[in-house]
Amino acid sequence: MSATGSSREELNCLACPSCDLVFDISKLNDGESARCTRCGHFLTVYREGTLHRVMAFTSSALILMALACSFPFMTFKASGLESVMTLPETALKLWIYDMPGLSLLVAAFIIIIPTLMLLLILFLVGALLLNRNYSWLPRVGRLVYTLESWSMVEVFFIGVLVSLVKIAKMATIVMGISFWAYGAFSILFILALSGLDRAQCWGRIEALGIKGMASGEVPSERLGDNE
Amino acid sequence: MNSSLTAASRGLASCHLCLKLVSHTLHDCPRCGSEIHIRKVNSLQHTLAFLITASILYIPANLLPIMITDQLGRSTESTILGGVVLLIELGSIPIALVIFIASVMIPLAKLLVMFYLCWSVHHGPPEGTRQRTVLYRITEFIGKWSLIDVFVVAILVALIHLSNLLVIRPGIATVAFAGVVIASMLAAESFDPRLMWDQLETEDE
Repeated sequence: MSATGSSREELNCLACPSCDLVFDISKLNDGESARCTRCGHFLTVYREGTLHRVMAFTSSALILMALACSFPFMTFKASGLESVMTLPETALKLWIYDMPGLSLLVAAFIIIIPTLMLLLILFLVGALLLNRNYSWLPRVGRLVYTLESWSMVEVFFIGVLVSLVKIAKMATIVMGISFWAYGAFSILFILALSGLDRAQCWGRIEALGIKGMASGEVPSERLGDNE
Repeated sequence: MNSSLTAASRGLASCHLCLKLVSHTLHDCPRCGSEIHIRKVNSLQHTLAFLITASILYIPANLLPIMITDQLGRSTESTILGGVVLLIELGSIPIALVIFIASVMIPLAKLLVMFYLCWSVHHGPPEGTRQRTVLYRITEFIGKWSLIDVFVVAILVALIHLSNLLVIRPGIATVAFAGVVIASMLAAESFDPRLMWDQLETEDE
């Protein structure tokens, strides 16, 4: 490990993901962010005490998701008739109309991936706050950042608003508890993710690993790839 | 802060997942365990493959019905463009314009921009590299927002089912359209903007 992890660059620096220029990001003060000087790509932001905030946003968002899945989302009323829609039904109805693939995708984008991400974040941030180095930590982190580009919480909520505009003139629409819960959920979800800056979060995970090795408990994974 | 060298020129590779700088000789990232590559593997080939897939799906997405409305026993199929034309006939030109831009223009523009970026890696003017990087990032950001249309169909289908009076069913173009969006998101994800900058450096030498 020492052969690959010791150079100053490898510990303190970061290469711009867009143009590969190397920057030292170890000297950022609280609240400062770094951008690439050549192509303008956002690199990282350093903020103290974000983990507690992320924990609060994540746990509230999970509760709101539970609410959003169990109450009516919207009610459509026209000519004395009415139909109710729930959040899981947006995906389930597509299955009924013989589009199982699309149904699974919609369910994944708006319910399954966001919920899974929040649960994983709970474990990740929990371990970081407790200063415990678990061997599953890097795997959880990898999953969170892999899933990140496939959650469409905010896109779906804008979709809800667009549909409201489209049908507002046709009938009376009543928003249910689930509508408000999902709206609040999408805001908290974005806030939770924005507190988990990629470079900073991985820096913390790495610091826990190094501390663990110093105190004698070498994680087995790290021994494995030491050639 | 600034250093004039790129990671690749120092023999370093940046982990695509956790951004750690490591020696490019390593197989896996020592921090997160992802595979290490100096540049995304076969970036242009993958990007072009996804772009061609998306372009093919773009045709049924626009020609086939995206939504079927059953109203009092009469069923009307509507395509994306048909919906726009209907809105123009009804006089709501601003809404028609918004839907036309969001569902027709942007997916098409995204495909054209990505094709251009792939071409520009080897043939583009070097002075425009920064602008092209920004163009790439905008395309990457807009990616998932095109899925709004698919969600609108899913919501309307789930919401509007008044027995015989009014029922909305999803059309097959919804699947094609979701395919266009996902394929172009994968195209943007496979593209490596650093290839454009690499070209700049080889020209400098």
